[in-house]
Amino acid sequence: MVFYKEMAESGRENMSREPVLEVTNVHLAYRRSRHRITSLKQTAIDTIRRRIAFEQFYALNGVSMKIDAGETVAVVGRNGAGKSTLMKVVARILPPTTGRVIVRGAVAPMIELGAGFNPELTGAENILLYGTLLGRTPKAMKARIEAIADWAGLNEFMDVPLRTYSSGMIGRLAFSIATDTTPDLLLIDEVLSTGDQDFQEKSSIRMKTLLNSGAAVLLVTHNLAVVTELATRAIYLDRGVPKAMGAPGEVIEQYLSEMHQ
Amino acid sequence: MSSEIPVYDSNIKLIPIFSQLTGVWEKRGLLKLLVARDLTVRYKRSVIGIWWSLLNPLFTTAVMFWVFNTVFKTRMPDGTAFMPYLLSGVLLMTFFNQGLNTAAEAVAQGAGVLTKVYVRPEVFAISAALSSAVNFTIGLLPLTLVLLISGKYPGLLSPLVLVLMASMVMLTTGLGLVFSIAYITFDDFRSLIQILLLALQYMTPVFYPITALGPHTRMVIELNPLTSFIAVFRHVFGSNYPATGLNWLMMLTSSILVFVLGLWFFIKKWPKAVAKI
Repeated sequence: MVFYKEMAESGRENMSREPVLEVTNVHLAYRRSRHRITSLKQTAIDTIRRRIAFEQFYALNGVSMKIDAGETVAVVGRNGAGKSTLMKVVARILPPTTGRVIVRGAVAPMIELGAGFNPELTGAENILLYGTLLGRTPKAMKARIEAIADWAGLNEFMDVPLRTYSSGMIGRLAFSIATDTTPDLLLIDEVLSTGDQDFQEKSSIRMKTLLNSGAAVLLVTHNLAVVTELATRAIYLDRGVPKAMGAPGEVIEQYLSEMHQ
Repeated sequence: MSSEIPVYDSNIKLIPIFSQLTGVWEKRGLLKLLVARDLTVRYKRSVIGIWWSLLNPLFTTAVMFWVFNTVFKTRMPDGTAFMPYLLSGVLLMTFFNQGLNTAAEAVAQGAGVLTKVYVRPEVFAISAALSSAVNFTIGLLPLTLVLLISGKYPGLLSPLVLVLMASMVMLTTGLGLVFSIAYITFDDFRSLIQILLLALQYMTPVFYPITALGPHTRMVIELNPLTSFIAVFRHVFGSNYPATGLNWLMMLTSSILVFVLGLWFFIKKWPKAVAKI
């Protein structure tokens, strides 16, 4: 049974009251090569010898869930449990092998921020390009350059190439661009705050505002305290299989008890 | 904000090529930014940038001119100046190699973003091919110079170079997409294909006149689509050398065919390949 929240308060356009995210029995199969590298020569030899050069394994094995507007669902699990793979399937980067993913509305992916930055381009040029890569229009981005630079505290650095920035400045700029949005679905992979003490506080506040803006949120983090604090529901993934789903407290309890076995 | 809610449904899998192309058209804003990025990095932020693009083909041509004119004593048919003949061939082969390489690498290396955000990878291949087209356009300047020195000029047909450029963008995009899948799937494809590309290079009349060949060799060389590209280019830009209707037909059909088939192959293979980047 799925309960739909009142969406009038969020003022969103998705009035169909359907879940923002629907994941139905998703499997994702990887073919792992038996050899360390896959070469054309080796493949030819294997084909002639009729040897199977690949083994298949499932990074996701029968994952289903629904997220409504306003809900925050956290994914917990060990390293390699498939958390980030699930993110990428929902973000449309990896197509599922079987099963179905439906996303209704605009997606804001926050996965490894700053991928797509070019060191030779200026701050302003990077804002335009990165924002467009994240799925917004160049026109909308142009109007936001000043506000984004302002929030990151990088106004004076907009006309110099990114290679002159410190890594902290790059992180601030990426965070400022990625969070300058009002998505229907927010995907967060270990990005909850960034930068030095001051900026961490500022970015964590902005993140919480975004989380409470009425968007559906899918969250991956190793910080279990954050899960208890922010999530309305949690999923425990173990080697691609969803082992538990429900109230964050119970799911975390099961995860911890299995982890210590 | 648009009033229409975008919906992603993973079940709609085999996207027909036509809707794929309209998808790329919708992303033309991004396409423009990516080309602008390539050109900015190449020309604006580099001291030798534009000079290099102007001088590089001239240097290459000078070396080849010395080798083939002085050492091998290549005989051109009467009335054909060797220098513009050579330079136009070099420019076109650079366009092809650069377009193919950058398009394939842009996708194969994920452009650093394809595994982090959702962007149709075709956009990266097309933008790389378009950037090479701009570089090629810059190369037309030294070619014009060499033509004038040889007592010729680009001529009235020269706007038709745009048709040639569009064809080359399609050819390199289509082939680049196929190569990108091969690069991702097989680690040794890069080095193997270099040999074939070298063979293709020599099978294109860059530094020898096609009329100097025997009938059998000539037929093989004529089957290479790049031979037609080069013939058309030399014909429209500088009226240097005649191109036949067959050359035009070959250029247009091969580029459209490679583009459509390459795109079709890519759409089929990409879901498995992306997991390997």
